[in-house]
Amino acid sequence: MSTDPYGARVRALFADPAHAGQLANAAGVLVEDQGVRIAFSAQLAVGRVDTLRFQAWGCPHVIAAAEAFCADYEGRSATDLLEFSTSDLMQSLSVPVEKTGRILVIEDAVRSLARQILGPTPKEH
Amino acid sequence: MAEQADLIYLDYAASTPVDPWVAEAMTALMTADGNYANPSSTHAAGRQSVEHIAHAARQLATLLNTDPWQLIWTSGATESDNLAILGGAHYRQERGRHLVTMRTEHKAVTDAFTELERQGYSVTWLNPEPNGLLDIAKLEEALRDDTQLVSIMHINNETGVVQDIAQIGAICRDRDILFHVDAAQSAGKLPIDLSTLPVDLMSMTAHKVYGPKGIGALYVAERPGVHVDPLFFGGGQQRKLRPGTLPAQQIVGFGAAAAIAQSRMIHDLKHLNAMRERLWSGIRDIPGISTNGAIESAFPGILNVSIEDIEGESLLLALEPLCVATGSACNSKSQEPSYVLRALGTSDALAQSAIRFSFGRPTSASDIDIAIECYRNSVARLRSLAPGRVE
Repeated sequence: MSTDPYGARVRALFADPAHAGQLANAAGVLVEDQGVRIAFSAQLAVGRVDTLRFQAWGCPHVIAAAEAFCADYEGRSATDLLEFSTSDLMQSLSVPVEKTGRILVIEDAVRSLARQILGPTPKEH
Repeated sequence: MAEQADLIYLDYAASTPVDPWVAEAMTALMTADGNYANPSSTHAAGRQSVEHIAHAARQLATLLNTDPWQLIWTSGATESDNLAILGGAHYRQERGRHLVTMRTEHKAVTDAFTELERQGYSVTWLNPEPNGLLDIAKLEEALRDDTQLVSIMHINNETGVVQDIAQIGAICRDRDILFHVDAAQSAGKLPIDLSTLPVDLMSMTAHKVYGPKGIGALYVAERPGVHVDPLFFGGGQQRKLRPGTLPAQQIVGFGAAAAIAQSRMIHDLKHLNAMRERLWSGIRDIPGISTNGAIESAFPGILNVSIEDIEGESLLLALEPLCVATGSACNSKSQEPSYVLRALGTSDALAQSAIRFSFGRPTSASDIDIAIECYRNSVARLRSLAPGRVE
């Protein structure tokens, strides 16, 4: 039985977060909750998310999850951001259930970023 | 994860490696060609085993300048603490049921007192000053006519702060109050003279001083009114205070570790001081860094630092391959900030970023230099990853 609280993927993403940083002249959000701070910035090209960057203050799972999100969504349609859910990330990174609240802050930040890029969703009118 | 060979171990307050000479002495009592007999047996091999145990008791007693028969072997400091606190309080319960301790004690002590509260005893929990030291006036104020036991640790396991057990003991002795000291971090590391110190009960353990895990001792002073009721029953070993077959090889290991500790203590202290000074000099200029507990009143084997605007769990992972602690090892699976640091008045955020470095005989200057580089780089990297605050 492993006593390591972090899987190999979390360790790799935490050690080398290729998407860490902040983009100038880009859409951007900053969310602070649950003792976590997350910022995302995105540059678009013809409806696609061309470049994504994050900044994070939180535990290793939060940093790894933010990096994983950026790596997954770069190059995808901006409307895909609306579909983002943390459940897949929680599973693929084996995030302990007690950290769910922290990871949900990432979902809040992504939703906020999507609204900024795409405008309010119909429900919000 | 880093391989074992790449790790820089700076967690000697949690445990130390067994000294090779200690391991050799222990092995001689474990295998078929050695003396593995039960010391309770009356045959020749059993009597030889008793001799080994008596020799170890003399070694530990010499370290502490006391008599061997005032020492009771236990499984470690946790059991010693429980036997001293529960056993001492039960023994004196007809005289009174008020007890005093500090909020910064090890869990082995605080949980024993919590159990006594559950049993109907009244406990006064003293807070330390911000520097970690006990204000003696506050102790004197807390004592009552029915106070029967005071328990204050010698070296704090998280901050390294050293309490003045001579002064505290003198106050207790004047009032005929049992005084217990958790010396898990100090026995074998700081000079302790039980022939002059007014201490009635003292807990210690072998694995913090290059001895084996699984063996500890409780000193019970031979003077009127000092006694503990046993927690275990069965067999008549150790004057029925702590029955059970004595683990001769563990005891011999503790005795050998004590003898080595005595012969090296001055050298060890000088080395630890140099290691702490080197580390603190290498990181003290980082903006927002501070020590937990006053460094001038702390044991040099421990340096506990906090840093502003850094998340502690990420710092700990970023620091690999350093083996350091966020709180006491016994408490480090908890995500809660250290209760010891909170009792010092440290904010939750700062307490959560706390790292305890602790040094030992094998620690080298190059280990410290790696630790400095690693700490500085990790803090810089995590700060560069962090966004500003929401306005």
